[in-house]
Amino acid sequence: MKILNKSKLEEVLNRLGENADVYVPMSKGLQSGFYPWKSLEGGKDELMLDALNVYQPPKSVVFPQTERMYSLYQEGKGLKIEETYENDEPRVIFGARACDIKGIICMDEVFLTGGYEESFYKARRESTTIVANACYEPGPSCFCAAMGVDPLNPEGADVIIRDTGDAYIWEALTEKGEALSSTIKDLLEEKELSVPEAKPFIQQVDYDGVAEKLKGMFEHPIWDRTSEACLNCGICTYICPSCYCFDIQVKMYGHEGYRFRCWDSCMYEEYTREAGGGNPRPTGRERFRNRFLHKLEFFTERYGHPLCTGCGRCIVVCPAGINITSIISEAKEADLDA
Amino acid sequence: MHDDHKCNCEQPLVPGIVEVIDIKEETPDIKSFYVKNIDGQGVPFNVLPGQCAMISTPVGEGMFSCTWQEEQEWLQFAIKRVGLMTDDLHRIEVGQQLGIRGPYGNHFPIEESKGKDMLFIAGGIGLAPLRSFIKYCFKHREDYGKIQIIYGSRSYADLCFKDELFDLWPKEKDTEVFVTIDRPEEGWDGEVNFVPTYLEKLNPDPANKMAVTCGPPVMIKFVIQALEKMGYSDEQIITTLEMRMKCGIGKCGRCNIGSQYICLDGPVYNMVQLRQLPPEW
Repeated sequence: MKILNKSKLEEVLNRLGENADVYVPMSKGLQSGFYPWKSLEGGKDELMLDALNVYQPPKSVVFPQTERMYSLYQEGKGLKIEETYENDEPRVIFGARACDIKGIICMDEVFLTGGYEESFYKARRESTTIVANACYEPGPSCFCAAMGVDPLNPEGADVIIRDTGDAYIWEALTEKGEALSSTIKDLLEEKELSVPEAKPFIQQVDYDGVAEKLKGMFEHPIWDRTSEACLNCGICTYICPSCYCFDIQVKMYGHEGYRFRCWDSCMYEEYTREAGGGNPRPTGRERFRNRFLHKLEFFTERYGHPLCTGCGRCIVVCPAGINITSIISEAKEADLDA
Repeated sequence: MHDDHKCNCEQPLVPGIVEVIDIKEETPDIKSFYVKNIDGQGVPFNVLPGQCAMISTPVGEGMFSCTWQEEQEWLQFAIKRVGLMTDDLHRIEVGQQLGIRGPYGNHFPIEESKGKDMLFIAGGIGLAPLRSFIKYCFKHREDYGKIQIIYGSRSYADLCFKDELFDLWPKEKDTEVFVTIDRPEEGWDGEVNFVPTYLEKLNPDPANKMAVTCGPPVMIKFVIQALEKMGYSDEQIITTLEMRMKCGIGKCGRCNIGSQYICLDGPVYNMVQLRQLPPEW
């Protein structure tokens, strides 16, 4: 098997960086996320390949928080769109976990199926190669397996690396993965190493049958109680690897400007507020219910699996202590006649 | 089910440009905009009755039901001034270029309604989408039976498409038009009533009929109740849903009701389908 010795890691990342923007899990001050390898400042930032989940998932590599779509030029009664900004520069996500890649697979389904292929997402996605880092020791808030994710063999990976201590086992799975491997083949060694032993999950949750059951729970009292603590702050949607909702806005400087899209959040009142003043989800309770039903029922109905990948980030960051695994368990146990 | 391409564009979020060739003031806050391609040749795409398009100015982008398409000539949109973007639209003049993308969404059941008597019930700007179906029926008159149109607005001034309501449509073969306003006013000797109450008073027979309704959500709710009381079955009741929209192609998230995206799977539903949705509409 192919082996990447950890002593060669920096050299590998530098080499990959010659042909692509390489995004790695990294801490920057108090923040952590997938940032360009080239932006790492020694003594200040730190590569975090060992961490299970950095705060920010890598979704912004394929779906940036703000993305220009096209130019606008208005003069007199004329309106021109002279340029569109699809970005297909090669990029590599290095060291993504199975849950985060599953988030990207969810976005692939949204943006690339259903009758319309969205061109801005497509350009970024097709030029992205994913090196997955298999997980052998689930963290205290991890529950990916319960949501149908295999942490040992991440779906959607072009290359999988497996941490054996001093070296990674390197396995290319796709054409993209082979192409990436060929650029660093002199830095890989041939050696037999044994795969680490997988540890059990600490967080237990049973999603089986929940999507189906939730169909009959739209008006169940569970939502009154569970939504009470929610501040509608939106942090759960911000750090979620699969939340993809976006807004389209415009920026004009006199005659010239551009239309862009940016992340939006179903937690906010403006999200569904109509120009005429009506709002089908006017209070936090309706927005909270829609978010969890979207994750656990509606998406499953449409795409065959939930829009939660079990990364556990929302459990960690929620200022109100809302825990999606408790919502799943409560739904599972709920009395439908309540 | 969702994999049929309705749009040829490689870049579904990037609009094409059209030119406004005429603007007609329908009411104090509703104007009709007629648009065609900027080279003067035809329309950017064909729409079926009930389908929508995203229209944009440098201020914003909004989803509007197409009020009528005259073959390869022009697309018409009757638009009410309610917010920032529509306020901007109401200031433009003939010759202005606009962004447009579409067509989006499903359409009225033009095939399933063939051979049936048609009952159209609209309130306010709700006549704008219904008009595409009404005019389609007139255009293919032999395919449809008797046509009844019940329409109401707050006042006489707020009634849309007055020349058609009072002059053109009543002259069509086997057609009745019933108009009502909410409050009495000088010079109006017609019906004064809310649309659902007027509907109950007229009590149109449900036999071999399709009832299609559009208007403010509260009107739609009472119209549906009235139709049920009169014996209309769920299959005979058609309406359109409205939600805030941004992308128009089922991706940006916000227009969902349950697992349905109104921009993509809707906006037209019958009561059988609506009963399967969570009661959020």
